[in-house]
Amino acid sequence: MSEVIVTVKDRPIREVNREIKAALAEGNKVIVRDTRSRHNLGVGLPPGADIRFEGSVGYYCGGLNDGANIEVERNVGWSCGEAMASGEILVNGYAGMSLGASMRGGLIHVKGDAGPRCGVAMKGGDIVVEGKIGYMAGFMSHAGRIIALSGAGEACADSLWGGEVWVAGPIESLGVDSKVVEPSSQEIASVEKLLDELGLGDNSHQWQKIVSAQRLWHFESRDASAWLMI
Amino acid sequence: MCGIAGRILTAPGRIGADLVELMESQRHRGADSTGFALYGSPLDTGYIVRAMASNRDRLSSDLQDFKNILIENNSDFISDPTWDDADTPHVSVRMVIKDPNDFAAWARQADTICENLEMQSVGRSLEIVKDLGGASEVADKHNIRDFIGTHGLGHARLATESSVSPTASHPFWARPFPDVAIVHNGQITDYYTWRERLERKGYRFMTYNDSELLAVWISDQMSQGLSQAQSLKKSISQIDGVFTYLISDIHSMGFAKDRWAIKPLVAIEENGQMAVATEEQAVRMIYLGEEVVNNYDGPSMTKTWEIGTLRKAA
Repeated sequence: MSEVIVTVKDRPIREVNREIKAALAEGNKVIVRDTRSRHNLGVGLPPGADIRFEGSVGYYCGGLNDGANIEVERNVGWSCGEAMASGEILVNGYAGMSLGASMRGGLIHVKGDAGPRCGVAMKGGDIVVEGKIGYMAGFMSHAGRIIALSGAGEACADSLWGGEVWVAGPIESLGVDSKVVEPSSQEIASVEKLLDELGLGDNSHQWQKIVSAQRLWHFESRDASAWLMI
Repeated sequence: MCGIAGRILTAPGRIGADLVELMESQRHRGADSTGFALYGSPLDTGYIVRAMASNRDRLSSDLQDFKNILIENNSDFISDPTWDDADTPHVSVRMVIKDPNDFAAWARQADTICENLEMQSVGRSLEIVKDLGGASEVADKHNIRDFIGTHGLGHARLATESSVSPTASHPFWARPFPDVAIVHNGQITDYYTWRERLERKGYRFMTYNDSELLAVWISDQMSQGLSQAQSLKKSISQIDGVFTYLISDIHSMGFAKDRWAIKPLVAIEENGQMAVATEEQAVRMIYLGEEVVNNYDGPSMTKTWEIGTLRKAA
């Protein structure tokens, strides 16, 4: 497998994405340079694709990922990995808002912090954030796991329907309709196994596992005042 | 959608060109209209007035009315007004005037009587220029790229709930406070409640653009003696809606962000210089390397940047 270099600069993104897909289809590893934080890079990449973005990317990078292995050298903007089905995304810097929105499977691993609402409406898969997860992490998520190693911002796991938010480190506040529960040893083992594979294994993590309190599953308008935040 | 930007230099430089770059790279966020709040080296005395005349054919009589009101307030044009020579009915006019006796009283009178010549900014330094179209079109028409100054704001508008017109574009001047301007990305949901409240206190609204409310609201806070930083903080609990807005005056620039943390803001801050924008790719047009960006992503955030101390010496 040889490496192909694709340069973004101020070129039309459609043209760049076509070039990326053509190089991947020939079985090459793709290195993308001069990314300039531009949007929609590497969307809808196929199984087996191997691609690395040198620098920072803008919105929706790796969206609709269907099994590609994607690495971003620095930051990603909004909604990295939105609606991805499978594959892996590694972000070496900071991840902007709505990381992994509506994702259904696969893994997103962020070495820095994640912005607000990571894992919003998530339906499956795993998000691992080595830093802190921002405001309203896991907002209305249905399934899957968000794992944060350095704490969580305000309104953590707000309006969680299903799914799990695992936090090692301080949680600024819990969002509505979520609760901290004691994880079983098998669950901890499963989380630690995933972290081990990422080279982050550490048996000293003090986990707080957050799940839905399930009161919003049966919303009654007469209870609305319990949910209003203002 | 809309996009906003701000830029601070440590010494007077090509602030106009930088702001055009910041806004042109965000034109996909809205190109109904684009506007700039530009801060040049401040006058010691006198004010620069930027105004929009609605009817080119009657510009000379509107300027005469404007001059009459200046004279009534012990002011006058210091130099002859200048304006663009485009073929649009609306005209962008620049005037330099002597200090009126009572600034607020004069501004109120001018706003009331000169309804065909709407003041868009008044300041020792501030000049607001706004017009229809994207950044490059507005820049070409009004020579924004040649503007030399220390700092400024930019706005690209995608109109949602009010009309598209040159005067309903951003930035908005916080009349009657010289040199104060805002740009806003978002929607103010309690607009009418606040508008009625402020109108009862005697404030005047020139448009139905919800963002104008922020400018008027800030004026009201300043009249009560609040600083820029205090006003920004207070707005988060007082104003309902989705907003990230930037405010600037001669000495400082700041932003406030709502409780829901919806509208992004990204900055590169280096050695007293700063570029801030809705999107990271915009600030990367100013800083072409891989400088560290600060994402102001959290809820209920504010920040104030001081403008370099070099400007007095300039």
